[in-house]
Amino acid sequence: MLYVAPLWPAGHLSRKGGDHSFLCRIRTITVLAKRTACLISPLAGEMAGRPEGGAKERSPMSLFAGLLAFILLALAILPAHAQSVEDLVRQLPDGSFSDRGRVVQALAATGDARIAPLLESLAAGDLNVIEETGRIVTTSGRGDTVTATDALTGEEIGEVASAGVERIRVNNSLRRAVRTAVGQLTLMSPDAGTRMSAARAMFQAANPDNVELLDEAIAQEENPAVLQIMQEARAVAILRSDAEPAAFAEAVDVIVARGDRQALGILQAALSSADADVTPTIDAGISAIQRHLQLLDVGQNVWYGISLGAVLLLAAIGLAITFGVMGVINMAHGEMVMLGAYTTFVVQNMIRASFPELFAWSLAFALPAAFLVTGLIGIAIERGVIRWLYGRPLETLLATWGLSLIIQQAVRTTFGASNREVSNPFWMSGTFDFYGIAITWNRFWIVIFALVVFAGLLFVLKRTSLGLQMRAVTQNRRMASSMGIRTPWVDAMTFGLGSGIAGLAGVALSQIDNVSPNLGQGYIIDSFMVVVFGGVGNLWGTLVGAMTLGVLNKFLEPYAGAVLAKIFILVFIILFIQKRPRGLFALKGRAVDA
Amino acid sequence: MITAFFYRALGAKLYWVVGLLLAAAILIPASNLLLPVGHTLRVPNYAVALMGKYLTYAMLALALDLVWGYVGILSLGHGAFFALGGYAMGMYLMRQIGSRGVYGNPDLPDFMVFLNWQELPWYWWGFDNFWFAMMMVMVVPGLLAFAFGWFAFRSRVTGVYLSIITQAMTFALMLAFFRNDMGFGGNNGLTDFREILGFSVQAPATRAGLFAATCVALAVSFVVCSAITKSKLGKIMISVRDAESRTRFIGYRPEYVKLFAFVVSAIIAGIAGALYVPQVGIINPGEFAPANSIEVVVWTAIGGRGTLVGPIIGAILVNYAKTWFTAAYPELWLFALGGLFVAVTLFLPKGIVGTIGDYFAGRRERKLVEASDTPPPDLPVMRPQNAESYRGETRPQPAE
Amino acid sequence: MTVVTNSILYLSGVSVSFDGFRAINNLSLALDPGEMRAIIGPNGAGKTTMMDIITGKTRPDTGEVFFDGSVDLTRHDEADIANMGIGRKFQKPTVFESHSVEDNILLSLKGPRSILPTLFWRETQDAAKRIDDILGIVRLGDKRSALAANLSHGQKQWLEIGMLLAQDPKLLLVDEPVAGMTDAETEETARLLRDISQSHSVVVVEHDMHFVRELGVKVTCLHEGSVLSEGSLDHVSADPRVVEVYLGR
Repeated sequence: MLYVAPLWPAGHLSRKGGDHSFLCRIRTITVLAKRTACLISPLAGEMAGRPEGGAKERSPMSLFAGLLAFILLALAILPAHAQSVEDLVRQLPDGSFSDRGRVVQALAATGDARIAPLLESLAAGDLNVIEETGRIVTTSGRGDTVTATDALTGEEIGEVASAGVERIRVNNSLRRAVRTAVGQLTLMSPDAGTRMSAARAMFQAANPDNVELLDEAIAQEENPAVLQIMQEARAVAILRSDAEPAAFAEAVDVIVARGDRQALGILQAALSSADADVTPTIDAGISAIQRHLQLLDVGQNVWYGISLGAVLLLAAIGLAITFGVMGVINMAHGEMVMLGAYTTFVVQNMIRASFPELFAWSLAFALPAAFLVTGLIGIAIERGVIRWLYGRPLETLLATWGLSLIIQQAVRTTFGASNREVSNPFWMSGTFDFYGIAITWNRFWIVIFALVVFAGLLFVLKRTSLGLQMRAVTQNRRMASSMGIRTPWVDAMTFGLGSGIAGLAGVALSQIDNVSPNLGQGYIIDSFMVVVFGGVGNLWGTLVGAMTLGVLNKFLEPYAGAVLAKIFILVFIILFIQKRPRGLFALKGRAVDA
Repeated sequence: MITAFFYRALGAKLYWVVGLLLAAAILIPASNLLLPVGHTLRVPNYAVALMGKYLTYAMLALALDLVWGYVGILSLGHGAFFALGGYAMGMYLMRQIGSRGVYGNPDLPDFMVFLNWQELPWYWWGFDNFWFAMMMVMVVPGLLAFAFGWFAFRSRVTGVYLSIITQAMTFALMLAFFRNDMGFGGNNGLTDFREILGFSVQAPATRAGLFAATCVALAVSFVVCSAITKSKLGKIMISVRDAESRTRFIGYRPEYVKLFAFVVSAIIAGIAGALYVPQVGIINPGEFAPANSIEVVVWTAIGGRGTLVGPIIGAILVNYAKTWFTAAYPELWLFALGGLFVAVTLFLPKGIVGTIGDYFAGRRERKLVEASDTPPPDLPVMRPQNAESYRGETRPQPAE
Repeated sequence: MTVVTNSILYLSGVSVSFDGFRAINNLSLALDPGEMRAIIGPNGAGKTTMMDIITGKTRPDTGEVFFDGSVDLTRHDEADIANMGIGRKFQKPTVFESHSVEDNILLSLKGPRSILPTLFWRETQDAAKRIDDILGIVRLGDKRSALAANLSHGQKQWLEIGMLLAQDPKLLLVDEPVAGMTDAETEETARLLRDISQSHSVVVVEHDMHFVRELGVKVTCLHEGSVLSEGSLDHVSADPRVVEVYLGR
């Protein structure tokens, strides 16, 4: 390496971008050179009559060995220069199968990245030679003329007469040679991604013949992630072979450590063909994986449940203010959520049109906008309708239902009845893996957001003067009023706060749900269920209620299906309310139902 | 005893309503069937079906009023009872199709053949028989109301909580009936009916007959509701509505009073649903939608709850408006309906009939006052209670 | 349960708390048949909660409540207890506002309370006479067809007393019957209650000392959920602890 590196500086290579052929060649050559040097140095030591190529006085002999290595290295490089990849490829159709085998080895030795797909085509029998020009191509189409593509460069050649094209024939030993060559090319590629996919492919192939190759690759692999896949691939291969029980058990352990459904399938397949003496090992492995999978299932369900719970919490938490704290039944709450989602849509459109570079942060602009829009609408509703109906909860329910119809229709008229496209910013798309549990980023952020909103609301209620006034007014309106609190103002603010939070929920829900005029309706019943289940007037009850219902729902789903699970939940809540009419966190007292 | 019970129901209002309904039951079918097409006085076929539909809605509103107006139970799930009655009728009509379905299977309705059902599920047994089906029209909604009410009223779930769980009930039923494996036709519901009692459901004469039957059913329901509300039990119902716990302290059991009214109301709603289905020709899970049930509430509210005539007038008016709007300005209908909800709660809390009634009562009072020259007592108008009285219900207060 | 006492009402060691607040604390009280008892006590003493316990609205956490010697009231609900013969008048007059005065009395009349009998109920001569009598006693004869909502506060109080009479209970619990009444009405009420106590047992909760004096019966003073003092009004009002509770230290 010391000798090679200066010749092809890494910086120069990497600047060449996607073309890995040089780098690839260097790596392969270096590997070969190292091996040669290893072979040679003890030999050189013996030649000098010094059995131990001593560390102290190694200079002449090791110099000699190094020199020899260099020469061999140069020799190894030279043919690559002398005989270009193109030339080698052209030699493929010539000679016997064993001649082809040698060409394949030589090709592999070039380390050119284009070789791997070419060789795979060869093994699959897809490689043809155009007799006239000697070009090696893959073809597509049938009939008198076929479309030919250069197998090495991928360059489209065009129509050629199928009579002038001959297939390059392969036999089994050639296929083996190809596999080994491809494995060498890819498993030892300098690019970790290539090595990873090669290892994965071998994991899938589960061919006992790959064991040696993998052993070799494992010996020099440094990337832990790739190493793990390689070891798993090796274990799978061993399970397919008739290895001795100890190696077998070791392989089972590796597979068990993987612990997913695929691992379970591998072991079950291995069980059917295994000898009696290893059966117990595999059985134990299978049950270990099953236990692990069950645990993972539970974990995954808990996550789904929490994620659903967070959505419910977001939808219900504004209601917990208007219904729980003020005692106002706001059936238009779902429409506030819907308006929040549409605000997101409008804000995103404005940003896309005017400041596309800020698009990733569009939600940060949508949040305050949605809060303001829905909060102001909420205040307008309170001032215009609800304040005339205090003390008449059933009438409030009807009037707000009417408002919800009006808002829905207004949105339908303005934005159309169909779904509107709200995009996820990059940091909200994709998935990550948490100890085997797949978590999507948008759900993850929504859970975080729900908790932040919850904490913020608790703070507002417990620590701000508005919160203090709100609690005072709800506990004793007349007293609060006579102490100088402007109760109508507090009512309007409280309702505005509840509606504003619904708007925030709308921003979050726009990321996971269809933004349509019906968005809110889907949440209103669930939200009421959460608030009623959790206990009216108790924010913690809403949190616990939302999470409980979310998790319960997701645990029922695998057994009952989504619809039936939902029905069960509804029935459960209906029965629960009969048992505890005031919810989980009920308030007790003489005057409660006076 | 029974005669006395109905005797009490008699009154000018009752004569008017029953008289009008019976007249309609005779005159409209007669005009439709006997007069030649194109005659000025002939009621066209579509109008007969439309009016029949309105009257089933009126019956549903009447049923809701019995529980809401008189016992104070705002049910947001009455559409469920209506739909269940409708499904029971629909099942009978499906069985009447026999082997004339698309698949020609004599034993199974088309949708079951389509879903590869092998045999008729047990809950479809007996629906070949008209009288059994009619019994189920009343029994199924009645039983559901009984079971639901038994739990809800005994555990003293009241007010908005009750409203919300009735809504949850109809929502759950909607989800359930949308499922194909429930055996009620899933999404598409039950339709393509052929015959009822051997008469083609499409024939004008059958339509006219169904209309007349609806008029009679509405008249009978009206008489029953009048008799109930004018009995001592009716007075107890109003007491429960206004001061439930006080009623309990003089020894009545509000939960049973409510249960009685709820079950009677559900049965009336079920019958209305059963009459609705052959006239519109389809029943599907959409009838369970919570929005439908809430709409019934607004019919009742507009007409005037706590008056038995009100909901009938309200249902007919609102549905006529709906028919007109959805033809003329479809996009404005929801604005109009939403506006109605708001307007009626804010400006017309007693509804049309209640407000007119107050007006006449006020005039009578004034006349009395002029005659007797004593100061008038406060008129019993429904004023908003002060805010605390409701809030006190949900908030704890210091013990004394 | 065997017969515990020969009291009409017997409370022993009753305690109840709401969210940690002890509204009633080891309260014991016994009332003889035919006795009238006045209960006094400052706000928060537990007077209304005690009535809630007797009428089945609130279940005591501990303690025994017996009616008519042997009936364990903690095992029954409000309607049961009302039908056994305990009538209650509330602190805030609660009448059925959308019914006429007559109907208010009619609904309270002793008689079957279940669904079918009330559905098919027919007014009898006896009932009509009884209603007339009661309306006479509570002086609402000329208001019989007026809506209860339109009565004055004092009239509502009387109507509620009339409803109590119509129930013909063995024990009457009367919570602040003279609140909002003029002096003349108060004296009238006191006379009425004394009349009633000729044939019924009565518990009266009242703040108005003048009224309590008018009644001239044994007085129990409650404080913080238990009995502070018991005896004649003079005895109780001379009790230094009662003075302290009422006037502060």
